[in-house]
Amino acid sequence: MSTPPGSYQLTDATGAPSRDAPWIFRTYAGHSSPRASNALYRAGLERGQTGLSIAFDLPTQCGYSSDAPIARPEVGKVGVPINSLDDFHLLFDGIPLERMNTSMTINGTAMWLLALYVALARERGVAEAKLRGTIQNDIVKEYLARGTYIFPPEHSLRLIAETYEYCVDRLPEWNPSNVCSYHLQEAGATPVQEVGFALATAVGLLDRIKARGRIDAAAVARCVGRLSFFVNSGIRFVEEMCKMRAFAELWDELTRERYGVTDPKLRLFRYGVQVNSLGLTEPQPENNAWRILLEALGVTLSRKARCRALQLPAWNEAMSLPRPWDQQWALRLQQILAYETDLLEYPDLFDGNPAVAGKTASIVEGARAELDRIIAMGGVQAAVDAGYMKQALVRSMTERMARIGSGAQVVVGVNAWTDGLPSPLTTGEDGGRFSADPAAVDDALAALAATKARRDPARVAAALAELTAAAKRGDNLMEPSIACALARVTTGEWADALRAVFGEYRAITGVDGQSLELPPAQAAALRARVEAFAAAHGRRPRLVVGKPGLDGHSNGAEVIAVAARHAGWDVIYAGIRLAPDDIAVSAVEEDADLVGVSILSGSHLELAAQVIDGLRARGGGDIPVVVGGIVPRPDVARLEALGVRAVFTPADYDLAQVMSRMLDVVEGAAA
Amino acid sequence: MTDAALCAAARHGDKRAIARLVSAFEDPRPQAAPRRAAILAALADRPIGRVVGLTGAPGVGKSTLVGALAGALLAAGERNVAVVAVDPSSPLTGGALLGDRTRVRFAGDDPRLYFRSQASGAIAGGVARATHQVCRLLTRLFATVIVETVGVGQGEIEIVRIADTTWLVVQPHGGDAIQFLKAGVMEVPDGFVISKGDLGSAAGATAATLTAALRLGTAARPVIVTSAVTGVGVAELAAAIAAGPRGRLVDREPYLFERWVADEYGQAGLRRLAAAAPSTAAYLAAHGGLDGAQLAFGAAEACRDRVPDPA
Repeated sequence: MSTPPGSYQLTDATGAPSRDAPWIFRTYAGHSSPRASNALYRAGLERGQTGLSIAFDLPTQCGYSSDAPIARPEVGKVGVPINSLDDFHLLFDGIPLERMNTSMTINGTAMWLLALYVALARERGVAEAKLRGTIQNDIVKEYLARGTYIFPPEHSLRLIAETYEYCVDRLPEWNPSNVCSYHLQEAGATPVQEVGFALATAVGLLDRIKARGRIDAAAVARCVGRLSFFVNSGIRFVEEMCKMRAFAELWDELTRERYGVTDPKLRLFRYGVQVNSLGLTEPQPENNAWRILLEALGVTLSRKARCRALQLPAWNEAMSLPRPWDQQWALRLQQILAYETDLLEYPDLFDGNPAVAGKTASIVEGARAELDRIIAMGGVQAAVDAGYMKQALVRSMTERMARIGSGAQVVVGVNAWTDGLPSPLTTGEDGGRFSADPAAVDDALAALAATKARRDPARVAAALAELTAAAKRGDNLMEPSIACALARVTTGEWADALRAVFGEYRAITGVDGQSLELPPAQAAALRARVEAFAAAHGRRPRLVVGKPGLDGHSNGAEVIAVAARHAGWDVIYAGIRLAPDDIAVSAVEEDADLVGVSILSGSHLELAAQVIDGLRARGGGDIPVVVGGIVPRPDVARLEALGVRAVFTPADYDLAQVMSRMLDVVEGAAA
Repeated sequence: MTDAALCAAARHGDKRAIARLVSAFEDPRPQAAPRRAAILAALADRPIGRVVGLTGAPGVGKSTLVGALAGALLAAGERNVAVVAVDPSSPLTGGALLGDRTRVRFAGDDPRLYFRSQASGAIAGGVARATHQVCRLLTRLFATVIVETVGVGQGEIEIVRIADTTWLVVQPHGGDAIQFLKAGVMEVPDGFVISKGDLGSAAGATAATLTAALRLGTAARPVIVTSAVTGVGVAELAAAIAAGPRGRLVDREPYLFERWVADEYGQAGLRRLAAAAPSTAAYLAAHGGLDGAQLAFGAAEACRDRVPDPA
């Protein structure tokens, strides 16, 4: 397809008008069990989805089998549990791998899930070379924002490099990783930070692959060509479009200059998108449909910087996981955009536009400076270790919260035009919310038990022993992992074997050295109340903040911790990925006046109950507990019935108000 | 629950009771002094445990080491171990963000281990005033109390005034050792820990540099390379600590009382203290110990405040 000079529309080889092929339509989906998720995927494909996007549950992402105690409350919640190759047979039942483009949002255990996919292909007799798809496999943003890491950085990065070294010849159409700026934007990144940090991550990865010297220069160039990105698209869609053009420009420059890639095809900036979830609102949730549409335009309008694959969240994502209908509605948007409109009939619409060129240039310049700064710090890993990127993100996030709080940034239905008619979308029997079938989890557990009973223990032991030995030797772990998959090793066993060799990572927190500005008058009023409490009780109120469960999205907990310090509290930050009992122990040992737990995984009822039970079991039943997270409205009353004293949802964006309500609870409890 | 009941429960390792008592010792108000005296009297039959200071610049791996060290002390036969981790308070808001719990993760619910985060408050020195008070309590309940504190210079190594032994933690190539040499506080610690020993030869090189530098100083002091990742050196450090002195906290009270007087009433207060008794130890003895002395001295100062100055 070409665009002859002077032509305003696309033509084919014969000169007849033609149109581009659309991007891949995906829907991020999966829950409960492999069988339930398989039904979901088949239905989605029938409705016109053109690729799969698999959501895994947190235990699978964090390297636990469904029967591990820390896994149990989370099994099947935010995605599908995968325990062994048997589960993959169920998950892809009736779906031809050789014709599918499969994206897997998986990081800490990415190599394992790819090994399972390759093993599935081998058992089905499908040639590996035909496999097409993506594993996310970007650990840097897990340390920064998302939290589903397992091993320390050095070992995690080794696993990522090894997936490239394996795929470059054997799975040439597979994207061995997706460098994610998506989660950076969710964590508050500005466009410049998003581009700069993502490119720094890509440079870190490619430099490592090159330095390892396991593959020749031509193969390194092909790795450059397989490196893809996973990008966020926010509501400021003109700026977002310019961001994508800036990304493409800088990537072309980097791949040419830093890696000497001469083949322009290998320098293409290829990216998939999930549009922004951060800006979706719980109040007037129907407005999110328009936000999603506009955000989709940001990554499709400019042909030069158009995404390769797009997945759209559902309008009700700030309230709950989407129902199948919600996902269908989101898919229809893509189909209308690609097939009904004339978008795909034109060459780039923005070339030569001075506003677009200027904005793009400013992002290029800022991102290049950010990239240079990180490289000067010793690279992306050093910058993560030093807390540089995390602190920059927390700062951007708190600035954003402050802008929304002051009204400087308008969010319709949240801080402007808040009065609206009740939405008929949320008045149905299910309240517009999805609820998973709790029995489906039993299905996953039963399948795991059956696999363990059926497999050959000697073959399992031998495969795990070879995995351990190869890990110690420094060999590529893909082939030993595939052997484990074929032997029906479980997800927890694979991860445990490597934990024993590599150790486990514990995060630096995003709370160190942060400052956050509550509006001065409100901060002063809050501090006066804190001082009064201190005078009456001989100490500042003590708040223990932590995240129970495996969900690692730490921003909410960090923002609350920083805000409470700003209001004069003594805040004990207990961290993330904690067992509920860990939080109870911390609260009791610290003589806490209040426990704040943040839960975004949908397991808030189970986890809050376990925290409260843990406190009672240790004589701390009188310590009040508050919960923050994505809590559907009907669950607020359920949490209160469990004994939770206050519940904060995305509707509670006013931090001073949150602090005030927390003080109400503490003052009430101490009175 | 009454303090007597809390003391009874604390003897049996009830963490809720211990935590409530710790809060009483952190209470800065004058009315807390008699309460502390009564609590200590109720625990007077207990032996006095050891206070170990672990200090060093931020980020050298103190917290991670503490987790491993506490386990190693138990393995070496210590009855139980408490940790007090001190972090700075914000001078602007008075609030504090105490993050050490994220780095020190003890195995589950071990009743032999107790961890407490403490805000430094407004006092400089790397150790909160309340740290000393809390150690008075915890040494009656735990065989070893580890105080983890940020110490980066001469003014901030107050921990040596509280601890039976103080260890300075430095990281390989951190330059901390040089900083300490420059600051003249190399004389202060009783031993040195090189953290992050898994970084290989760098740790060994730093240890060699440090050992060489120390030979220029006074008595030989141990330099131990540790790694919380591989466990290297942790047992050796635990053994060195377990072989060291314990129970000297009471001996430190005259100094700590003077420090308190100076903080509260300045140099004039110290002169009045010197005038009131032949020695600080005598003043403490005359008033039934630290709490009584603080009460008595505070009352005398308050009295002075009410008497109009004849000038």
